[in-house]
Amino acid sequence: MLRDMFKKTPRWAASSAQELVPSPEIPTGMWRKCNKCSAPIYTDDVINNQYICPKCGGYFRVHARRRVEITADENSFEEWDDSLCGKNPLNFPGYEEKLSRMHAKTNLEEAVITGKARIDGYETVLGIMDARFLMGSMGQAVGEKITRAFERATKEKLPVILFCCSGGARMQEGIVSLMQMAKTSAAIKKHSEAGLLYVTVLTDPTTGGVTASFAMLGDVILAEPGALIGFAGPRVIEQTIGQKLPDGFQRAEFLQEHGFVDKVVPRKEMRSTLAAILALHAGTAPHKGSETEEAKEREAILELAEEEIRMQGRREAYSDLSSAKKAKNLSPWERVQISRKSSRPTGLDYIEGLFVDFIEFHGDRFYKDDKAIVGGIAWFGGRPVTVIAQQKGRSTKDNIFRNFGMPSPDGYRKALRLMKQAEKFGRPIICFVDTPGAFCGMEAEERGQGEAIARNLLEMSALKVPVLSIVIGEGGSGGALAMAVGNEVWMLENSIYSILSPEGFASILWKDSKRANEAAKVMRITAAELKELGIIDRIISEAEEAGKETLPDICDEMRKQILKFMKRYTAMSGEELAEQRYMRFRNM
Amino acid sequence: MIRKLLIANRGEIAVRIIRACREMGIASVAVYSEADRDSLHTQLADEAICIGPASSTDSYLNMERIIAATEACHADAIHPGFGFLSENSRFAMLCERCNINFIGPSSEVISRMGNKSQARNTMEDAGVPVVPGSKEPIYDWETGKALADEIGYPVIIKAVSGGGGKGMREVFKPEDFEQQFLTAQTESVRGFNDDAMYVEKFITRPRHVEFQILADQFGNVIHLGERDCSVQRKHQKMVEESPCAAISPELRAKMGETAVRAAKAAGYTSAGTIEFLLDTDNSFYFMEMNTRIQVEHPVTEMVTGIDLIQQQIRIASGLPLDMTQEDVRLKGHAIECRINAENPAKHFMPCPGTVTNVHFPGGNGVRVDSAVYNGYKIPPFYDSMILKLIVHAEDRTSAINKMRSALGELVLQGVTTNLDFQYELLNNPAFSSGNFDTHFIETYYPDL
Repeated sequence: MLRDMFKKTPRWAASSAQELVPSPEIPTGMWRKCNKCSAPIYTDDVINNQYICPKCGGYFRVHARRRVEITADENSFEEWDDSLCGKNPLNFPGYEEKLSRMHAKTNLEEAVITGKARIDGYETVLGIMDARFLMGSMGQAVGEKITRAFERATKEKLPVILFCCSGGARMQEGIVSLMQMAKTSAAIKKHSEAGLLYVTVLTDPTTGGVTASFAMLGDVILAEPGALIGFAGPRVIEQTIGQKLPDGFQRAEFLQEHGFVDKVVPRKEMRSTLAAILALHAGTAPHKGSETEEAKEREAILELAEEEIRMQGRREAYSDLSSAKKAKNLSPWERVQISRKSSRPTGLDYIEGLFVDFIEFHGDRFYKDDKAIVGGIAWFGGRPVTVIAQQKGRSTKDNIFRNFGMPSPDGYRKALRLMKQAEKFGRPIICFVDTPGAFCGMEAEERGQGEAIARNLLEMSALKVPVLSIVIGEGGSGGALAMAVGNEVWMLENSIYSILSPEGFASILWKDSKRANEAAKVMRITAAELKELGIIDRIISEAEEAGKETLPDICDEMRKQILKFMKRYTAMSGEELAEQRYMRFRNM
Repeated sequence: MIRKLLIANRGEIAVRIIRACREMGIASVAVYSEADRDSLHTQLADEAICIGPASSTDSYLNMERIIAATEACHADAIHPGFGFLSENSRFAMLCERCNINFIGPSSEVISRMGNKSQARNTMEDAGVPVVPGSKEPIYDWETGKALADEIGYPVIIKAVSGGGGKGMREVFKPEDFEQQFLTAQTESVRGFNDDAMYVEKFITRPRHVEFQILADQFGNVIHLGERDCSVQRKHQKMVEESPCAAISPELRAKMGETAVRAAKAAGYTSAGTIEFLLDTDNSFYFMEMNTRIQVEHPVTEMVTGIDLIQQQIRIASGLPLDMTQEDVRLKGHAIECRINAENPAKHFMPCPGTVTNVHFPGGNGVRVDSAVYNGYKIPPFYDSMILKLIVHAEDRTSAINKMRSALGELVLQGVTTNLDFQYELLNNPAFSSGNFDTHFIETYYPDL
């Protein structure tokens, strides 16, 4: 309405002023554009925010030296083989010039730097790839540096952490490049056989020959959110199959879902996660006060528990007796129903109640991450342990996510992978059993449910570390047994363990699933009856039915007993443990 | 001298700054959001650049766009006005880095004065009185009680993370302290999950008195007297005046000298405001420093005859102050009423809309600072203040009479405003008497 109605300002200030006024100028590089959200972002913000876009949270690639800064303790990085640089094995035209241009641009000799560093005080070999150098591709020099790092780590008995970031093999070095995949893998094998830890961190992008060699060989594989991880690149796949790939395909989360990544870790938690993993594998509690105190406290509990048990051995006998007595008060069918209650604590509740600093590791490394089984490593009584639990949900939604606690073959394979990992690092294994049974469905059969269960029975029998299985709710048939080949098997007072559900039993034997009540009685499935049969070794009493309120008390009791178990079984050799387990089932 | 100035604001303050530019022969550049295409500031400026959609975050708060616009139109300087980016130290810092003259103090001063505890420490070091109280958070009542006994009652207990009166308790007698502290702390733990508390002297009937200061780049600092902003509703000022009815020339000299000392301690340049709490016994305490031009700056302009925006531009251009403290003479009395598009009957809910008919009062000593015109559509995205009515007369009584007359003449149709409420307020005997404090509104208009 008032458009173009005002007179403009007469510019006498401008005409009179002869002095030089500096004109505004945005310094080059003050802003950069986020390649995820396209917003302009202040470069200093990005640097101070560990190269994460402050607007959309998208990740920028981190230069190798900067990664050292945000990962390792200050000034702790001692670089190895820093002058080792690439040659031109195929006499590829222009390659040398390209390498020297890259060197000038990045101030790096090659696409990876390796060396020794400390993370939160824990010494480790650290290798970091840099995408600026020919897309972090692996030629002879990269392969050589990584191989040497593993060899030296093996010699010095150090763990290795590798940050992967690579397009794959280096084209200019052709077949020589391809051989680096085998060379590095072989060095990793030797390092692994020495019982040493190898952690890979997959960052954007990790593809091609690097994925198909050292990137996928970590004992623990971590990844940054949203990182592209794959063997063939998405463009190549799209061109080959003539289809558009779905969103999120080959991203870190996709790989976790498909069982190839243990954990997607946000960049800001990477350092602390690595430190926690190193601590758990160094076997010494982290330097943080709380944990060491916790360890001491547990040690004290151990002494106390032992003393108590020595003094009052009779009371224990009585307590078992009393639970057996109480068993008479509740009918087996009532116990079946209690064991299935949704208010009953689940595997994760016990993990939280009993263990310190639990880190969940996902995936079976074959096909999937089964949500019906959770597993990982944690501290117990000042000692690293592997914990695996069958997990039911509370709500319907949660139960659908957890598949009602019915594991797929992928779940059993994940459990076995974690058990084998525990065996490599000499960690005791604690399993919580709570499943109506192994999942009964088409996909489960396609991927070999029977094979997966059988494999666990076979492999668990010979594990060289202590295995304790505790039935906390339903112990449904083979699905339960696949996690219960332990040196000892315990049950909560109101849990059940059976060949089949009472409903199924009645239906097969009497052609009438409604007679489940009757079946429960004759099947001998309660803790007390199984103890009598010698199938299980201990009953954890539930003075009050297990629930949210009684959980701390039950955990206290469990903790005492588990400490006792640890004391007894960690004193045994691997062979003795396997033999004890063999005899335990041999006599049944 | 600045040749071209970009105004990173909207509404009446943008218009106010453009007017100063026009008088000084400086080319003006307005930035506007899509909702402000037809706004007065957009039309009045020599150039106008659209910087984004209606939402403030995408436009008037978007530093990148404003700086890019400044570079594109080759403006030498940015005036941030008040609100939006005016006290954003990061924005000031970006301007510094981009060779843009930010009209205001340095980014460092903004950030130092923006941090409450840092500002308090700076002032204490400079010998500026602050409200006696705890310097560190207090976690147990015994420590708090010891401090309260030392300061003297009444005291106020505040939650460090508090807000909205939660976790806040006044204690008048020592024997009540324990219980009140624990109640406040419990509230804080429940509400903010934080048990850290402050204990401070409670000033029962404070007046909000602030001093306008001007500081150039050569260390010259003067004050331009005070403004009384005690008429507030929920910390929103409604009526401001200068001078303050409760201040004697001696007290003014003392407080003014303190304000100058405070500004010097802060290393301040440009126009700024030192806020004080004035107790009934004439003791006063530093509250905070506003590192920008303020809404109520016209009352100071009216009694001193000094154009504050022009002074800001001169200082930013590197010119020394063209006056000394002795040259500053307060003449007469000025009052400002803020007219907002809001409904007093509905808890002052903002009421945007189209202004269908507007008539501004006039005459000697009547000033209207506004961005409203006939047919102007008030966008719903920004502050509801649409007009400031300022009067200047010989003394307080004649100023009140002039304001009543001017308010009675002001016509704003099409939108609901607080005009009638302001008119009622000017007729309040307590206001006329000059004897009131910051509890004025809640005392006389408890239902609002």
